[in-house]
Amino acid sequence: MGCDVVTVSTDTKFVHLAWREHEKELAKVTYPMGADPTGSLSRTFGVLDEASGLALRGTFIINPEGILLGSEMNFYNLGRNIDELMRKFKANVYLARKTSEACPSKWKDEGDKTLAPSARMVGKVHEALQV
Amino acid sequence: MSDYTPLKLGQRVPDFDLDTYEPARGDFGTFSLASQLARKRWTILFFYPADFTFV
Repeated sequence: MGCDVVTVSTDTKFVHLAWREHEKELAKVTYPMGADPTGSLSRTFGVLDEASGLALRGTFIINPEGILLGSEMNFYNLGRNIDELMRKFKANVYLARKTSEACPSKWKDEGDKTLAPSARMVGKVHEALQV
Repeated sequence: MSDYTPLKLGQRVPDFDLDTYEPARGDFGTFSLASQLARKRWTILFFYPADFTFV
């Protein structure tokens, strides 16, 4: 499921280098660290805090056709849950193949129960999830 | 800047390029959405406020 993660802040690539090499907590980080010093990409995605010039904690999933399929944003003081990000990513990849299905909230991975929305299911989602 | 409309789900993301630091290679590089699309790759963008803080 070819996917690339890029981290982005409004720091320059030089600061990224310095931080990555200095902070031991980042020793295992291998993702490209993107520099958005003008804030233009952050603004495109609506995460730029114009007052501070900093990007909020936004995560975005873009499919291989360039369509934005996932969006999550947290304020400065709340970290993201990587398990939930991976769940949403896997679900998007799955749904790209299974276009008539939908992944319910408890869907975690391939093989878990999905729904195939139809007229018969209206008002019967509870029953459909039990099957 | 309040007239700016951010992207919505289901919309096409305008092409972009980013200068990068690539820890895997220990070198600078470039990330481009166009090249992701050309290679049929998914992309996850992970924004955070600032280096030297607490991601």
